[in-house]
Amino acid sequence: MRYSSPIILRFIALATCLLGMTSVNADESEARQILAEAMLSSGDDQMTLVESLVETGEPKIVDTYLEAWKRGDVYVYEAKDGSVIPLYIPEEDGVSGPRPATVVATGEIFVNRMGEPEMLDPTTLDSARPSRKTRKAFTRVIDLVALSSQDPIMRADAALKLGLKQDADYLPVLLEMQQKETDDKVNEAVAEGIAVSQLALGSKEERLAAIQTLQDMNSIAGMTALENFKFNLKDGVAGVEFTESEMAVLDSAMQSIESYIKVVDFIGTCFRGLSLGAVLVIVALGLAITFGLMGVINMAHGEMIAVGAYSAYISQQMFTSMFASTNLAYETYFFFAIPFSFLIAALCGLVLERSVIQFLYKRPLESLLATWGVSLILQQGFRLVFGAANRQVNSPSWLLGNIEIFDITFGYNRLFVIGFAALIVFGTWLLMTKTSLGLAVRAVMQDPMMASAMGIRIERVRMMTFAFGSGLAGLAGVFLSQIGSVGSNLGQSYIVDSFMVVVVGGVGNIFGTVISALGIGVTDQALQPAFGPVMGRITVLVIIIIFLQWKPGGLFPSNSRSLD
Amino acid sequence: MHSSESKKSLPGIIIVVAIMFALPLLNAFTPESFFLHVSDFRLNLWGKYLCYAALAISLNLLWGYTGLLCLGQGLFFALGGYALGMHLMLKTAQSESDASGLPDFMDFMGYTELPAHWVPFDSFGVAVIAVMLVPGILAGVFGFLAFRARIKGVYFAIITQALTYAACLLFFRNEFTFGGNNGFTDFKTILGHGVFEPGTQRGLYILTAIYVTACMFFNWWLTRTKFGRVQQAIRDSENRVRFSGYSTTTYKLFIFIVAGVMAGIVGALYVPQVGIINPTEMRPDKSLEIVVWVAVGGRATIIGPVIGAVFVNWLKSFTTYHYPDYWLIILGAMFVFVVLFMPNGIVGLPAQLKALWAKHKHRFIKAEPNGDTAKA
Repeated sequence: MRYSSPIILRFIALATCLLGMTSVNADESEARQILAEAMLSSGDDQMTLVESLVETGEPKIVDTYLEAWKRGDVYVYEAKDGSVIPLYIPEEDGVSGPRPATVVATGEIFVNRMGEPEMLDPTTLDSARPSRKTRKAFTRVIDLVALSSQDPIMRADAALKLGLKQDADYLPVLLEMQQKETDDKVNEAVAEGIAVSQLALGSKEERLAAIQTLQDMNSIAGMTALENFKFNLKDGVAGVEFTESEMAVLDSAMQSIESYIKVVDFIGTCFRGLSLGAVLVIVALGLAITFGLMGVINMAHGEMIAVGAYSAYISQQMFTSMFASTNLAYETYFFFAIPFSFLIAALCGLVLERSVIQFLYKRPLESLLATWGVSLILQQGFRLVFGAANRQVNSPSWLLGNIEIFDITFGYNRLFVIGFAALIVFGTWLLMTKTSLGLAVRAVMQDPMMASAMGIRIERVRMMTFAFGSGLAGLAGVFLSQIGSVGSNLGQSYIVDSFMVVVVGGVGNIFGTVISALGIGVTDQALQPAFGPVMGRITVLVIIIIFLQWKPGGLFPSNSRSLD
Repeated sequence: MHSSESKKSLPGIIIVVAIMFALPLLNAFTPESFFLHVSDFRLNLWGKYLCYAALAISLNLLWGYTGLLCLGQGLFFALGGYALGMHLMLKTAQSESDASGLPDFMDFMGYTELPAHWVPFDSFGVAVIAVMLVPGILAGVFGFLAFRARIKGVYFAIITQALTYAACLLFFRNEFTFGGNNGFTDFKTILGHGVFEPGTQRGLYILTAIYVTACMFFNWWLTRTKFGRVQQAIRDSENRVRFSGYSTTTYKLFIFIVAGVMAGIVGALYVPQVGIINPTEMRPDKSLEIVVWVAVGGRATIIGPVIGAVFVNWLKSFTTYHYPDYWLIILGAMFVFVVLFMPNGIVGLPAQLKALWAKHKHRFIKAEPNGDTAKA
């Protein structure tokens, strides 16, 4: 029984995979057939075939091959038996001479009779050039083919894009689509597109109605169209004259959309800042324990993060090799990676504490130096073991999408990070305040001698606390591996920030760490649009230095009667 | 006790000075076949080491004698280097038959005239003053803010690291008119002499050696003054010093500025010898490396930083050439080892061994293992 469940899961995954493949294939092969046929025909036939592509609804194929055809990357190969086959040989930088070709009609690599890929030199082949008339139709076909896509999101995007072109040719297509379309989301986009088009093309009444529609929909996409329309009105080239009251309608519509955009931007910034802050919380929380509570400056904390990230990479590799490379491996490895990384990083922390840090509790400055030495060793160790190149950790698909609410995009990975950060903080808080271990930890941190006299085994408590802090760093590594690639100096880029977070929050105060991480995250994101990413970061650092002038103990300084 | 210690350190200083000045003599006056001959390349390398030595002395003033672990010493060093580099870049640009007379990177950026803050650097004198003034002012402002807020210990270390990190990010930007991540390079002349001619390099070496000597004697003198005593008292117990009526803030600020200026001058000596200055010198890990030199040599000693800087950098040259993959591991392991087992560095090693020998003999006679000693 123990081994059955993975096998079943594998089977399900395989089945889903196959089902998905066939449904895609139907449309795709049809589009490919038409394309191949069109490339070989000429004149009106060609034109008709190309225009018929609009109906097939396989935008990806149509886009790629029409572009390639236009560029001249499609060639006609004449076989020995006289049949002709259109081939796609993409242009690549610095590549010339014979190379593999793709058969347009099937999408497979072109093979000779032996079944080996046939290498072809494009310069020896005839390029399949579309006629000028056909080429003019390409843009239209590419624009329209997306409208019949299976995917409602693509359909909606395409409809809006067509509308924004404000082209008299497309307006009837959109109006027709409005009658047929059943999906609400797509219909909204179609209506928006129609309104934008009518703003430039319609009669006066239609234009006024369009303005009203755009205002009602809070259309961000329509904002530019409204602005242009206003300019045209002023210059007298809009084709209609507006009275003052009608002008006021236009102005109020623009104002209403503008204020809506401001709200959206603000919430978007807050959300991005919150998710950056959440990452900082996860990164800095471990430090808040090792540095804030224990007073150990662990410069190798960044490497503990890297240990976590590499552990995530290893668990991904393990799952990929166990489940071949089905999607399932990526969907599930993450749940394994989280505890795995925590344990590995905690183990590393344990070893570090026993071998180096336990001798340096009375010399905090020197623990800074020794752990920096450890961090150098670990960094080079990563490079020797995993290679100098960065490693890629793939996100499970349920972390990749995003949800859009009122034009604000909430990425699932960002939402997940925020949720997880909240969970970790809550867990840490529980551990520190509600368990006897937490009580022992706090006692040892406040007064090790007295704690020892009370019968607490301070050596062990310190060891466990440090391991826990390091394990939290490992968790941070799992999340950072989702944001970027994993390299040997992954932790280095966060270490200065996390020390800042802890210092600003007030040393020894986990709540302060959370507040300061979120504050720094939001400030950073709020400054970025105005200053750019680097200057934003510098400004944040300067703000922190000035902030410490005002509150040297951080946001929540710990109260103590001791002098140092 | 300290006065006798400073007397004891005098012979060491003299030996170091003698070795420093013997090198250029061996370079200039011995034939190449002579076994002690120092090639131009070696002399240049040693010039670089001596720059690091002076940098280590400046950090030792802060960390060793005042207890201020500054993790931004590389910033002051780089600022001094940049100040002289600006002058060298302008001279190079003018010596080329370049129509604009602007440094190359400005041509690439599309500048048509020199930014206003570059104009005064046409004069060598201004550049030399800036070498001292820019790090001095930064150290003054930053130190004033930090010490006034009583930021000390590890917080001071972290905040200086943040400062150098911010500056590093700033200098990496191309728009900051300091050459972005390429920094300054391809210098041609300094005061009319070709920068890379052996004669110029030898002159620069001698200048550096004089400077290191001056720094060591300054340090030696400072430890004997009342100022030096207060400085060390601050390191040992700042609160007691403050309660005794001394303004520790002023003392710390003064020594911070002195160390900053000192590092700035080293930067200016370093740039023409190495021929390049770029923002990597400001990276936080560079500043941490300086701390390694001091710790390895022996903090709060006068020749310790010199020995540490030369030794670590010699080892770096050696290992990066022979075992490039393992340099960082060796550096890191050395650091852990020194912190754990050699708190007084190389200079303190003889005394440590002596104590160990005495203990061993003691234990041998008594034949009674003691649990505590094994732990220490």
